[in-house]
Amino acid sequence: MSETTVIVTAGLTKSYGPVQALRGVDLVVRQGEIFGFLGPNGAGKTTTIRCLLDLIRPQAGVIRVLGLDPQADPVAVRARVGYLPGELNLETNRTAEQALRYFNDLRGNRADWAFVRDLARRLDLALTTPIKNLSKGNKQKVGVIQALMARPELLLLDEPTAGLDPLMQQEVYRLLREARQNGATIFFSSHIISEVEALADRIAIIRQGVIVEEADPRQLLSMSLRRVRIRFREAVDLRPLAATPGVTLLAQDNAHATVQVEGEVDGLIKALAAYPVSDLETERPSLEELFLAYYEGETAGENK
Amino acid sequence: MFAEYKHALRRLRGRIIGWSIGLGLYSLLMVFMYDAVLEIMGVEELLSAYPPEMMAFIGVTDIFAIMTPAGYLDAYFFTYMTVIIGIFIIGAAGAMLVGDEERGVLDLVLAHPISRASLFASRALALITATIMILLVCWLSWAVPSGRTQINLTWLEFLLPFIPLLAQLLLFGALALLLSFLLPSARMAGMLTGALLVGNYLLMGLSRLNDRLETAVKLTPLYYYQGGLAVDGLEWRWLAGTMAAALLLTAAAWFFFRRRDIRVGGEGSWKLPLLSRD
Repeated sequence: MSETTVIVTAGLTKSYGPVQALRGVDLVVRQGEIFGFLGPNGAGKTTTIRCLLDLIRPQAGVIRVLGLDPQADPVAVRARVGYLPGELNLETNRTAEQALRYFNDLRGNRADWAFVRDLARRLDLALTTPIKNLSKGNKQKVGVIQALMARPELLLLDEPTAGLDPLMQQEVYRLLREARQNGATIFFSSHIISEVEALADRIAIIRQGVIVEEADPRQLLSMSLRRVRIRFREAVDLRPLAATPGVTLLAQDNAHATVQVEGEVDGLIKALAAYPVSDLETERPSLEELFLAYYEGETAGENK
Repeated sequence: MFAEYKHALRRLRGRIIGWSIGLGLYSLLMVFMYDAVLEIMGVEELLSAYPPEMMAFIGVTDIFAIMTPAGYLDAYFFTYMTVIIGIFIIGAAGAMLVGDEERGVLDLVLAHPISRASLFASRALALITATIMILLVCWLSWAVPSGRTQINLTWLEFLLPFIPLLAQLLLFGALALLLSFLLPSARMAGMLTGALLVGNYLLMGLSRLNDRLETAVKLTPLYYYQGGLAVDGLEWRWLAGTMAAALLLTAAAWFFFRRRDIRVGGEGSWKLPLLSRD
């Protein structure tokens, strides 16, 4: 393993009875990068992350985290890793501060409490509130703080902004970028395309327990589909527009049209210059739609 | 490890206080009842009038022994306490780790730099400490006011029967812990262990009425439980055997926990075919 690799998995295989969750996952995450781990529900994202922390044991394969084998030396690995689970559950009869102090105790009181208070302030979290009175989003903030507070070398984050409002999502992105600037490596799973776009240096797509693609996120976005609703000042002939490469006409009604654009929108914009456009509305697809389009493309390729 | 021990003990705080108050008050009541029982006119005749089968079933083989401090302690406290305090330790041991796992809390705890061995040992020690604290309150509730009664026992003599009681509790607690790793849920482990404990208690009573159960009852833990009669001295071989069995079950529980996939969302669990709706 190179000195600059932080996570390496090779041939990672994990089954739950007859269900094969991972079927040979190969991953390399380099030091200092923000790595997005994408895939539909049940693809194996959480299982992979939990294998990295020795919470579950794979049937086969090699794992190295920060140069260590998590099964041989789990405590040494966890001492250097901050983890945010996808399904965050906290003891409800304690305050947020008590929960964080307990986690800090488990880390040998490594966290600087001024930093914890600063994180709570930035995330607008009242530490004295009992966990049972916190909303899902506020519980998520407790989860984010406990992952970050000891300034770990590696952050494993399973859906880090789940349940947070857009403003708080932006704040979490800032915190993660700052953690990276301070030397941390970040490995996160996500369903949110804007999150991937905002954070990731590199991504991997997992599907049915296998990594199907490792790429630059811009490459993923370039595959992305956009739906564009156009309102014209008068009824128009849409045939030239529909003939534009990458543009598919989905619906038309008098002076309205809905088209789907694959890849960059430059062609559409240039084609629309010839039309009397009064309004334009674009909609980005969900990551699921993107996966679907990606997989359909893959399947079509395989069938050929 | 101390951080987790402290945390686990704090989580048991409510139950320690509740059980201690309840059993402490019961013990105090029983201490002061002793003189009243002795002074009841014709109590010996009254006890003699009870059917021997009924007395045997509640653990009294010699009617007049109930009038002695050891017999009184046995009949009014120690015979029942395996079942009563057993409810506490079985519930707590069954949920010690699997309860947190089912609530999804264990996942995040074990993602911190604490080994499974430390977590297991810390929580087991906290549970043992909690049980000892409850027993200590009971002991003090018997021993401290006893000077004002006709119970002529020293504090040490009061302490002795608590030792085999603790051993039995640890044995059933360890069984609940082990079963929590083998059965689909902590609740099921608690229910099965509780049923085994109550079944054993009933079998002890029945065996006093039916000699043919003698062989079967010798295979059960409560046969090796001295109860209040330990006031006259401990049966060390029984005590060592019970503790060894508790240790063995704890070691088996550790073996299964060490190899266990920590569950979230129920993956890796199994269903009893007869209870499954699918």
